[in-house]
Amino acid sequence: MENSIDNNAITRDLLPMRFGRWGKIWTFILLLFCAIGAYAYFLQLKNGLVVTDMGDYVSWGIYISNFVFFVAISLVGSLITAVLRLANVHWSTPLTRIAEIIAVSSIIFASLIIIVDMGRPERFLSLLLHGRLQSPIIWDVIVISTYFVLSLLLLYFPLLPDLKILIRMNANSHSRLNKLYRLLGSFWKGNPEQVRLSEKAINIMCITIIPVAFCIHTVTSWLFATTYRPGWDSTNFGGYFISGAFLVGAGAVVVAMFVFRKAYHLEKYITDLHFDKMGKVLVMLALLYLYFNINEYLVPAFKMRKPESAHLLDLFAGEFAPLFWFAILVGMLIPVGILLFKKGRKPLPMFVVGVMVVVGAWFKRYLIVTPTLLHPFLPMQDVPERYHHYFPSWQEWAITMGSLAGTLLVITFLARIFPIIPIQETITEQHEKVV
Amino acid sequence: MKRLCNFYPLLFSLCLQVPVSFSANGQDSARKTLLVDLSYHSLNNEVVYLSVHAKTKEKGKFQPVGGARLRLYLDKDSAVCLAGEIVTDTKGSAITFLPPSLKNQWNSAATHMFIALSDEDGAFNPSRTEASVVKAHLEMDTGQGRTIIAKIVELKNGEWVPVKAVEIKVAIKRSGSDLAVSDKESYTTDSTGTISAEFHRDNIPGAKNGLLTLVAKVDDNDTYGNLRVEKTEPWGTVLKLSDTFDKRSLWAARFKTPLWLLLMEYSIFLSVWSVVIYLIFQIIKIIRAGRLA
Repeated sequence: MENSIDNNAITRDLLPMRFGRWGKIWTFILLLFCAIGAYAYFLQLKNGLVVTDMGDYVSWGIYISNFVFFVAISLVGSLITAVLRLANVHWSTPLTRIAEIIAVSSIIFASLIIIVDMGRPERFLSLLLHGRLQSPIIWDVIVISTYFVLSLLLLYFPLLPDLKILIRMNANSHSRLNKLYRLLGSFWKGNPEQVRLSEKAINIMCITIIPVAFCIHTVTSWLFATTYRPGWDSTNFGGYFISGAFLVGAGAVVVAMFVFRKAYHLEKYITDLHFDKMGKVLVMLALLYLYFNINEYLVPAFKMRKPESAHLLDLFAGEFAPLFWFAILVGMLIPVGILLFKKGRKPLPMFVVGVMVVVGAWFKRYLIVTPTLLHPFLPMQDVPERYHHYFPSWQEWAITMGSLAGTLLVITFLARIFPIIPIQETITEQHEKVV
Repeated sequence: MKRLCNFYPLLFSLCLQVPVSFSANGQDSARKTLLVDLSYHSLNNEVVYLSVHAKTKEKGKFQPVGGARLRLYLDKDSAVCLAGEIVTDTKGSAITFLPPSLKNQWNSAATHMFIALSDEDGAFNPSRTEASVVKAHLEMDTGQGRTIIAKIVELKNGEWVPVKAVEIKVAIKRSGSDLAVSDKESYTTDSTGTISAEFHRDNIPGAKNGLLTLVAKVDDNDTYGNLRVEKTEPWGTVLKLSDTFDKRSLWAARFKTPLWLLLMEYSIFLSVWSVVIYLIFQIIKIIRAGRLA
């Protein structure tokens, strides 16, 4: 009886909640950003890519930076769910759903932003019909689609027991939400055979998604590394991208943990211990990414080959120096400094650190793409002066902000529809603890 | 006091003169000396041309002078002997061919002098450079066993006579520069004005038919200037260009993907997607297991 009371309490605590006042304001703001982004995209469709500041030099601008950012952040699904699950780490249970939702929503917008960058969306069909299998771009399309399907499955399978609870709790409701729950999980009875099949599938998925996640980031890095440009001509790029993706993904989870904990009053489930553990994970990942950054910048800077010197000096002490040092300090060094102390791994400092890591990571992607394109090995002759500079137009900013808002909107809606912390898994773990 | 009063006008006039004299000296010292290297060239004993390299000394280093205007003369600096007017390029170099109008004058003597003149301008003082040359011919032939024979003769009293103790280089013309035919850098002519060089570059790629351009040359000789003759021989290996067009490669068209890449891609794709399909099949099994329960 005592257990059942506990179960009900856990279930009540973790059921998805209707938007409150702040939730509605938050959703409205996101919708507003999305609407502005959609209008800017309409203008881009109507007038062409001429509305952007991209040109013959910078042909990949803020859109591709944003794409790389989304791809990076999506890695978190495999980190929190797959890696920690396979390592038999149990403290991460309340964080798995958050990580999976972030992964699914960011991979959706990674795919969309690439189509935005193409200028004419109907040409995506040409990519499928006439694409060359020798091109890393085709590999990226294939691997992103695969990762998206796997991420969806990784979100869906652990959701099945919770869907049963949601259907039970809304038994008398005929709302659309309940219809959705029934459609997705009415077949789940929770019998031993179903549990066995589900456990087996989740384990297989966890094993499969790790190499696929590594592939998506490695192939994205190859889009750059297979192009002969200063700053991209590196054999280190795969590891550099994966380590950066792990860091930004973990940072995003920390931010989401704090926000959901506050918004849904989940202090009992997402505790200081979780922040402390995630803080330690973040330190390790920040140091790992820092190591790759040192390799990426210090070695070429030591040689300072003439064709690369303009690019490097622009980063270290030129036009992009403020952004570069901001990304290094705010995205890596200061977070490590804060998180090394126990007080720094408390929820609020962790939230601040998470925001710093995510913002630093976004600018880091911008720095990977733009300065390199401004310094080609073989500069074009007699080009207009504006080709030597790039600053995104308002349409580019609006579309980018719209896509970021869209990602947050998908996360918000998924958190409204599904429990943000796995209910059944939490109950099972509580029982195991008691036993 | 009187003496002092006389001193002031003197001091005043000195003060006025000092800057003026400095200014005058400054103008002279501001002009630099234009140093001109003038060389005579003969190609295949037919084409004669002159090359000029203009430079100046700045801060202890020689710097090329671009845009220097020079007039070149044959034997005398008079209008009828004008060989050409040239302007040096950014590297300080320029060439000019001997014009047909000077043919008779060129044929009239065995020894000639070339004169390069530049006028005074804002940057440089006027300059005059002379270079004398004795007319000579360089001949080249090939013998058995891939031997190259070169001979130098000079015009003396209306006859071509062999010249001994002249350094001749024998080489193969390559893109950018000449490659010596053997390890020996140069050969010295004997009393018959002849040298003999063995061709030791057996596997060197030639043109389409294995043709190589052999070169015999005399470089910067004080008496004869620069002489050069060329001759082609099929002594190189035949160049076989490998044409990768329309073959399987990383840069080929869509249906020309390398097989190894196809194999890798399809095996990765199929193995991952077979897992995905298996997982979807697991959902069907879970649905069935639910119905049975």
